[in-house]
Amino acid sequence: MLSQQIFNGLVVGAVYALFALGFTLIFGILHVLNLAHGAVFMVGAFIGLYCVVGLELPFPLALVLAALGAGALSVALDWCAFRPLRKRGAPEFSAIITSMGAGLVIMNIAQRLSGTQVWRYPFETFPIHIVQFLGLRVSLLQLVIIGTMLLGVLLLWWLMFRTSVGRQIRAVAINAHTASLLGCNPEFVHFVVFFVSGALAGVAGVLIGIAFNSVHFLMGEPYMLRAFVVIVLGGLGSVAGAVIAGLLLGVVQTLTFAYLSSAWTDAIVFSLLFITLLVRPTGFFGTLRIERRIARS
Amino acid sequence: MDFPLLNLVLLNCLLALSQFVVLRAGVFSVATAGLAAFGAYTTGLLVLRGMNPILGATLGTAMGGIVAALLSIPLARLRGVFQAIATLAFVMIVYSICLNATPVTGGANGLNAIPRVVNTWILAVVVAVVLYVVYSVNKSAIGRAFETLRQDETVAVSFGIPVANLHRFAFVLSGLVAGLAGSLMALHNYSVVPEEFAFGMMVSTLAAVVVGGRSSVLGPLAGAAFLTLLPEIARPLAENRMVITGVLLMVSIIYLPLGAVDTISLRFRQRRAARHERRLVSPGEAA
Repeated sequence: MLSQQIFNGLVVGAVYALFALGFTLIFGILHVLNLAHGAVFMVGAFIGLYCVVGLELPFPLALVLAALGAGALSVALDWCAFRPLRKRGAPEFSAIITSMGAGLVIMNIAQRLSGTQVWRYPFETFPIHIVQFLGLRVSLLQLVIIGTMLLGVLLLWWLMFRTSVGRQIRAVAINAHTASLLGCNPEFVHFVVFFVSGALAGVAGVLIGIAFNSVHFLMGEPYMLRAFVVIVLGGLGSVAGAVIAGLLLGVVQTLTFAYLSSAWTDAIVFSLLFITLLVRPTGFFGTLRIERRIARS
Repeated sequence: MDFPLLNLVLLNCLLALSQFVVLRAGVFSVATAGLAAFGAYTTGLLVLRGMNPILGATLGTAMGGIVAALLSIPLARLRGVFQAIATLAFVMIVYSICLNATPVTGGANGLNAIPRVVNTWILAVVVAVVLYVVYSVNKSAIGRAFETLRQDETVAVSFGIPVANLHRFAFVLSGLVAGLAGSLMALHNYSVVPEEFAFGMMVSTLAAVVVGGRSSVLGPLAGAAFLTLLPEIARPLAENRMVITGVLLMVSIIYLPLGAVDTISLRFRQRRAARHERRLVSPGEAA
């Protein structure tokens, strides 16, 4: 029973990690808190749903299209909301405000288009296949979720540490001005980062949509708040930290859900965030290099 | 004599002033909604148990201040974006507790049948007093210290400004104002429900300060009045309230980063300075 709960928690955590990866990427590189990330995730879920229900495409293709669509939205968000501020060299407070505003606008449009309803996938979209494995009940969908997360992390790692683009991204993260002197184009880096982070959010959105079989315009908010917990626990802009903290959060949440009470899950999860900020504001897995930006000396 | 719309504007002004105080001191807190919830529930619970409303509101206000003082301890260790995350989490924890601690808070139904004792005049007097207090703080040496602090913390430290103390002061003041606003809401709306103190209040309060302006006290007043009245004046807009708030947030932070009131006052000051300069220069040119 306990091992089953832990496994279920890891599956939930895999989605948190997928979602938080994009969030932490933007945060670590642009030092900007993108509060519209939850809205991008929600739009990804709707694109996936529309591809399956409206266009009757197969599920894997819907997943890819949702990733592309959410990535494009994320890039558009960068152009409308963040680029004007970057040009002016505005303080980070401004970016919180614009992304909050952009998130509200996207959510309201989605509310209009979806008619404030909860949308569902048709029953046979994803084959229900249950495997017994070491005494665990594992569904095909759970395997796909974990597999997608691993694939996402591997691709991201490859992009960041094995390609020229990744070197440019890391250079811009350290210092955008110096990087541009050395021949990196910061605008291109921002384009890539926003696209990748949006695509990750879109994939997470589709997976969550099909796992709980419910897609609605407010679905991004709880994940947004979870992502805060993940990036704080995992450390600013740390990819490995986001993955570990995401999985951990999934397990903690599932266990409190199973053994305590569902009502207190939120309070416990956010208290975890608060305690982390109190005890170790740099996170448990992050590098200490950028500590100056987080904690007051 | 009671004007429901004006009451709403005045209550939103109080909340905006609470948000203004912290932003003024360079603290990225969005805790106002959570602190207001403490004020509202304290007052609601006490008055429902038969306490005098004035005493209840006083204790509600004090509660806001006490919670803010406690919250300022972990907050003092953080900066920038992390203060925003921590206070956002605080608002969510408070909301979750209000929603789930049903025996005390009444859960999703909230507290009901609270006697209504607040009218427009009381609200107007309270807002005037709070405005006076915030204005005096803003004009005093503390206000100038806040300005330095907001612009550059390192410079502030080098001037010997006690950064941590001032941040704590701003946060507690903001908590007192938020607690007061929450108490008055409880005594005005007949009821206290958790939804009131969630994400929506946080965004609209922040929007009022961003749209209005962050350095003069008139900014949050103008912003709160504008954002409250806009959907009422233009009825078709009321349905798309969130879009309007969102677009206003984006447009004002990109094109009017100082906020409406501060931009206008800056223009006036520049024009006066230019006129003054011309008067000084012109005799010399004539000669």
